[in-house]
Formats: sequence, C-alpha cells, structure tokens
Amino acid sequence: MAGQSKEVEILQGTLKMMILQALHQGPANGYEIAKYIERRSDELLQVEHGSLYPALRRLEAGGLIKAEWRTSLTNRRARYYALTRTGRREAAEEHSRWKLLVRAITRVMRPA
Amino acid sequence: MLSRIRRWLGISADDDLAQEIDQHLEMLAEERRGLGATSEEAQAYARRKLGNRASIREAVYEMRPLAYAGTWAMHARIAARTFLRSKAAHGSVIAILSAGIGMSVAMFSLVDAVLLRPLPFPGQNSIALIWKTDPPAGTQVEELAYPELRDIEENVSDFQYVALLPTSLYGYSRVLQNGKSEPVQIESAPVSHDFFRVLGVHPALGRDFTASDERIGADPVVIVSDAVWREQLAADPRIIGHVVRLNGQGYTVIGVMAPGVEFPRGAGLWFPLGVDRAIVERRGATFLQAIARVKPGGSAERAAAEVESVFRRQAADHPEAYPKSQRAVITPLVEYWTGSARLHLWIMLGASVLLLLGSIVSAGNLLLSRALQRRHEIATRLALGAGYRQILEQLGAEGVCIAIASAGAGLAIAQAAIRTLVRFAPADIPRLSQSALDFEAFAWAAGIVAASVIACALIPGWAALRIEVESALREGGARLSSSRREGRMRHTFVATHAALTMVLLAVAALLVLSYRAMISDDIGFANRDALSMNLQLHGPGLLSGRAYTVPYRRSFYTELLDRLRRQPGVVSAAAVLVRPLEGTIGWDVSYEFPFEVNNGRRVLPKANYEVVTPDYFRTAGTPLLEGRDFSEHDTETSEPVAIISESLAKLIRQAGYTPLGYRIRLGLTRDRWSRIIGICGNARYRSITQSGSDIFVSYLQAAQPTNYVLIRGKQPAGDLANLVRRTLLSMDASQTIAGIATIGELIDANSARHRFDMILLLWFGACATLLGAGGAYSAIRELTADRQREIAIKIALGAGRGRLTRELVSGTLGFVLLGECAGAAGAWGITRLAAELFYGVAPRNPLVAGAVAAFVFLLSMTAAAWPAWRAASDEFRGALRR
Repeated sequence: MAGQSKEVEILQGTLKMMILQALHQGPANGYEIAKYIERRSDELLQVEHGSLYPALRRLEAGGLIKAEWRTSLTNRRARYYALTRTGRREAAEEHSRWKLLVRAITRVMRPA
Repeated sequence: MLSRIRRWLGISADDDLAQEIDQHLEMLAEERRGLGATSEEAQAYARRKLGNRASIREAVYEMRPLAYAGTWAMHARIAARTFLRSKAAHGSVIAILSAGIGMSVAMFSLVDAVLLRPLPFPGQNSIALIWKTDPPAGTQVEELAYPELRDIEENVSDFQYVALLPTSLYGYSRVLQNGKSEPVQIESAPVSHDFFRVLGVHPALGRDFTASDERIGADPVVIVSDAVWREQLAADPRIIGHVVRLNGQGYTVIGVMAPGVEFPRGAGLWFPLGVDRAIVERRGATFLQAIARVKPGGSAERAAAEVESVFRRQAADHPEAYPKSQRAVITPLVEYWTGSARLHLWIMLGASVLLLLGSIVSAGNLLLSRALQRRHEIATRLALGAGYRQILEQLGAEGVCIAIASAGAGLAIAQAAIRTLVRFAPADIPRLSQSALDFEAFAWAAGIVAASVIACALIPGWAALRIEVESALREGGARLSSSRREGRMRHTFVATHAALTMVLLAVAALLVLSYRAMISDDIGFANRDALSMNLQLHGPGLLSGRAYTVPYRRSFYTELLDRLRRQPGVVSAAAVLVRPLEGTIGWDVSYEFPFEVNNGRRVLPKANYEVVTPDYFRTAGTPLLEGRDFSEHDTETSEPVAIISESLAKLIRQAGYTPLGYRIRLGLTRDRWSRIIGICGNARYRSITQSGSDIFVSYLQAAQPTNYVLIRGKQPAGDLANLVRRTLLSMDASQTIAGIATIGELIDANSARHRFDMILLLWFGACATLLGAGGAYSAIRELTADRQREIAIKIALGAGRGRLTRELVSGTLGFVLLGECAGAAGAWGITRLAAELFYGVAPRNPLVAGAVAAFVFLLSMTAAAWPAWRAASDEFRGALRR
C-alpha cells in the first residue's frame, strides 16, 4: 500500500476522526467520505475505500452516526451517513484531542 | 424499527452492506468513466480502489454486536443437516437425555414439595413433638396425660410455648350440621390453648384460643380451617361469633384459621382440650402428645435434656403412674410431618439421579461414537482451510442443539411425569398433590446435560486437533493413534452403566419379591368385597362417645345391625372397634394366661384388642379354626368369653394346655378371667406386613364402642353404603358415616406405597437396562469399525467366526463385570440403608444379586456379540480391498 513515495498510510485510529470530520460538513455517503479525505489531503492520503465500511459500521453501532438510504445528487440510491448529537460532540472532542497530540508530537520530533 | 431488529440479529445486514458496496463501486467506476476510461478499465479501477470485498464483509461481520448469532445460526443449520443425516443416532441421544432429565426433575419436584419446601409454620425448625417411649415394656410410643403439660411448662425454661394434642385424631371427628345439606363428619383436634402459638400461625378471621376458653365448664368454642370455612360454611365472613352444631352441641366459631394450616394432618376443626375434669386432672388419661416451640435464642438441646429430666422426676414423684424406664422422644416437626415418606422419596430421587447419570453416560457414548466416525470429515474440513475455532464451534453448536432439544423434551416429560406420579402416588404422602415443576431443578439437570453433551461433542474436535490432517485423510479415518484412549473412555462408559443398571435392577428385584410376598401372604381377611365404614356415635362433649351410655350404644348397634341384616341382598353385617388396616391406630391390651401368673414377669405382653359383634368373623372373612363365634347370649350377666388368634393359641399349646376352654385375663379387666371360646386365623390388623396377636371380646361384654360397621351384600358397594346411610338416618338423623372402603381397598391402600416404589424402580431399572445394552452394543460396533482392516485380515487368514467374536467382545464384557462388581457393592449399601423398604426377602440376597448380575451380563453379551458376529462375517472381507 505504501509503495508509492507520495502517498502516506493512514495512521492507526485516525480514520474514525477523519470520517467524523467529513460528516461535520453535512451528510455524505461512503464514496463521498472517501473522496473528501483524499481531496482534503491533496491526494496524499490514499484511502482503501472498502476499509471505510467497518469503521462506519462501528461508529453507527456506537451511536455516533446514523444512516439512511437516500437518493444522491446523481440520482442514485446510496446510504447517507450523518452525525448524531453525540457524534457531533465526539467530533469536537476528537478535533481538540488531535490538535493537542499534533502539538506534542511536533515538539518531540523537532530537531534538538 | 424492523430493519434495526433485523440488523441487530444480523439477518439482513449482509444485503444492506452488499448493496452499499455495489453502489460505491458504481460511483467509483462512474468517476473513472467520466475521465474517459473504458467500462472494463473503470470497473477494474473501482475494484482496486475498494479493496478486497470479502475481507470488508468479514471485518464488518466480526465487529457487529451479535455477529456470533449469524455464525451460530449457520452452525445450527449445519447441525440440523447433520442430525437429519443420522436421524436415528441423534434421535436416540435426545430421547435418552430427555428421559433422564424428565424423570429426575419430576422426582426432584416431588421431593421438593414433600420434604424440602418449608411448612406453613414460621420458624419450623424450632418446633418439635414430644412423647415417651418405654422399651423395656415393649411400648414404642407412650402417650402423655393432660397434667404433664404443666410439668413441662414449669420445668423447661427454653420453651416459648407448649401445647397438647392427641396422638391420633381417631375418635375426635365431629359431625357438622349446617342445617342445609346432609351432616358431614369432619376430622377434629382437641388442643390446648397455646397450640397455634406453638405453630406460629394466627387465625385469618376472628381470634386465637385463650386460657379462658380452656377451663372446665367453659363455653364451647371452635376454630375452623380455611377449607371447612369455604366448603361447609359458604366462606361467610360474618361467621365469627355464630354458633354451629357439632355432634348436636352448639359451638361458637371464634376463628377461621389461615389457609394451608392443616395440622394435625387432616384436621378441619380445633377446639379446646382442657374442658373436661376427667382429662384435666387424671395422670392416667394418656392419649396426648406435646408440641413445643423453643424460645428465640433458646437451645433445643438444653430443652431436650430438661424434658428428659422432667420425665425422670415424674417416675419419682408419681411412682404409681409412671415407670422408671420411660424416656423422652423428641421429634422435629419437619420429620414428624413427612414421616416414613422421607426414605421412600430419597430412594426414588437417588434412583432418578442414577438414571440421569446413566442417560448422560449413554448419550455421551453415542455422541462419541458418532464423532469418531466424523474424524474423516473433520480432517477434510481442516484440509480445506477451516479454522480450528470454527470446527470446535461447529461441534459445540451440535452439542448445544442436542442439549436444547433434550431439555425441551425433558421439560414436557417432567410435567407429564409429575401429573402421573401425583395421580398414582399413595394418598398418605403429605403435600404431594402440591407438587409443581421445580424450575431450579430443571435448570440444574438441563445444565448438567448441556455441559456433558457439549463436552462429548467437542472431544472429537480436540482429538482432531492432535492428529495430522494428512495422515487422517490417507488412512481413510480407519484407525488413529488416539483410538486407544477413546476405547478406554467407551469402556468406562460401559462399566459405569453396568454398575448403575445393577444397582437399580437389584433394588427393583427386591421390591418385586417383597411385593409378591406381601400380596401372597395370607393376611387373614378373605372377603375383599366386605364394605367397611366408620359409624361412631357422635354426641356432645369432648369425648363424644361418652355422651352415650354403654347400654344405649349396645342396643343402638344391635338394632342397626338387625335392620341391616333384614334388608334384601345383605349377606352379613357386623361391627368392630377398629377396622383392619385403619392406619396404625388400634387398641393394645396386655394379657396373661393362668400358667403365667406368679412367674415373676413384671411387664405383660400386649396384643391387638378388638370388640366385635356376632358375625364379624364371617363378614371379614377371618376363619374360625376352633370353637364358636360370639352370640347374643354372651352378655354382661353371662360368663366372660374371648376369641383369640391362632398365634396366641400356639402359646397356650406350647405351655401344654388346650387353648379351647382355657382362660385369659386382660389388662383392661384386671380381676376377671375370660373363657376362650374360639380360635380364629391370624390376621394383620395394623399393616399387611405386620403379623401380631389379636384378642376379640363380645360388644355385649366390653365397655368400648364398636365404631366401624362391616357389611357384605349382593349389591354394589355404593348401594350398600346408601343402604347403611338410609338405615342410620331412619334411626338417628344426627349421625353419619365416613371413610367408606372395602377390605380390598384397605389392603390395596396399605400396600400402595410399596407398589408405587416398585413400579417406579422397575421403570427406572428398565430404562437403565436398555441404556446399558445400547451402550455395550455401540461400544462393540465402534470397536469393530475401528478394527475393520485387522478383522478382515484375520478372516482372510482363516480365523473362525466364533473365536473372532469372542475376542472382540471379551474386553468389553470384562468391563461389564467390573461395573457389576461396583454395582453390587452399591446395591449392598443401599439395601442396608433402606432395609425397611423390603418385606419377606433378605435385603442382601446373594441369589437376587446373582440373578440380576447374570441378567445384566447376558444382556450385555448379547448386545455386544451381535455387532461383533456381524463384523466377523465374510462380507467384511471386502474391507481389505477398500
């Protein structure tokens, strides 16, 4: 997967956060979420699209997102995911946690 | 909502996910097509981008909350298919297990209802009954008299309350006339006023007895049971303070007892005991027992010791009334309540537990056989890439399915068995009719079965984990390194089974022999059709019989019997003091013969005492061996006469005298000698297994009443009873009859408990036998299947069929013998514990043990030889080529 030098493998545990972030913009289907992540990372992050689904199911089971079948803009039936109230709260928390983590890691990684 | 449930159950989520992924692929492909790719290129790109579809599904599947439900549903489907492939084997496993569960749960439910469930008396363990025993005088039960209540109350500080009640309800029944329907006879108990306080129960309506209710000359009051209140008094809540007529005397109802309180057993009315000077003051009026409750914080042991010393002091203070040899007998209420039913029920429970064990062993054996045959299948699956976990889960699922099916069937069997047992059980086991399925017991039995079945189901899985897949495939699953261990296990099953069967059959055989001895014994009553009933005269007063003078009673029965004898169809009619086999009650009387006087013996022997009218022997069917029957001319003014049983006549003959015309003196009539005018056959009055001596006296020469009427006629029993009822009504409308039963019914009721034991144990024994034979059969069948090749080679080399069969079965039969030895030891122990269950047969009977052992051995041999003989046939030569 990480064969190409330009692509970065997704860090363990960050996929959930990115999905929540994607859905923060509004309801989206699996394809749109994957595309959102790729686009926002300037194609640096290459998502294996299929790997979204276990994560989506887990979030759904955890009550962070909810799903329903809807017709997409291209007139296609797709399963749309949206944040629940707890999901919204969780997204905000994940966001601030992430910022803290990045700051900490950056400090650790800066040249001595 | 529905879809959520379905998703939760993992049923349709697969479709949802598949659709979603399809759409996703479509969108990816579309994106590519938009960039100008061909359809194939676009689809290839989409698939690449998405990743491995199967692993997505798997990943989703694994994390779903009840993902296992889906897996298990699949396992269950496969299990069901496996069952259908081998219906017979799995069907028999389920049948065996459900029978084991059903019978043991049913028995446990009965034991629970009768023995384990608490009585309706709070603090039941601090309540005990007290009477005396005097072994040197040969009296097991020596009763108390009313003045002894004070002796105990004043000297035993650890008792909170003490009360008195009669040792038997015989003679205290009351005829209740409510003015509307026919008078009914109700069992009643005269009790001292603290009785209900001892029991710790209170009236649901009205009040308890007080000391002022129990004085000489006090106004008569009564507390009625809930059942009597509902059935006889129309559940009238305003009954308190009203007067009901009992034996023609007005009693004020002061209370209705709480439901379920029926103590002594059968009592429906309670009234104060100490209202009659003849009872309250006389130390000689011994007909009572005490019941006492230990104080909270008091010590039962200390109380028992104090009671013992009270009784010892009595002998010193009143040497004229009490012998020095009297001892206290203190019986906890719980034991008193269940009596001898305890032993019977424990034995049955033990037998049913053995059956449950046996069924588990058998089922395990069968499952193991099935599973070993599947080694090949398992090896194939492993080779095709199945995980060990999946294999074990699959086998476990099969075990669970079997356990569920047998638990369900077992539940049904248990329920049916309880209904049947309650219906056919002897009526004298208290609370039996309240038995209901015990769910805790069921959970236990089902749990044990489930654990064992699943364990048995998993064994081949474990075995498979150890074996080399390839070698199993190559050898065609014929013979594997682990088969020796499995063979040992099968043989352990066979031995265990032989032991269980041996125990059950040995006890059952002894019970059958006892029963045969019981019913073939001449018990002295040939006329099974003679109808008997209680017809005691009920008058006012505590001892209701005393309301009538002796001459009145005599003329009443003379008149009644005369009228009955004149009725068309009546063959004979007579009356007797206590009819045969009326529970354990009866009169004991001490006696002596002239040759025994002054021989220095201080304690006289006792015999059953009966007061009878003429024609009694002819009606009951007891033969008069010598001499004559009583006649209307044997009166108070003529010479006192007696008829004795053959056993007493023998004593006289042994002393060198001729019984007929000899004399006998009874303890009741100290200074009067009676002439022996007749000798009758020995009869068993107290129990059909208890032979004793009987002394009969004419009703015209005795003070005791003839409380039971016996009548034989050409008409059916019901018509005869109505005839007596009508005749009685025409003489005195306030009297009634009760306890109608033919002598045959009395005999059957007396042996009912034994018959019940016998039938149950026979049934258990038969089940165990079948299971054992099945076990031996399948053990040999598996053995031959394992050694097919070897057998075929031996046949090819010319081994004789007989020799080969012997060789195959000998090992297994060795284990049968081993099991039988263990079983014989077990049976020996049980018969030692339960010697009182047997009659007319030595409990440790080597002949019975030998016969049962031979039977079990022969059966196992036949069951084992059959598959061995078949395996040793020429047809199996083909196995060599395969």
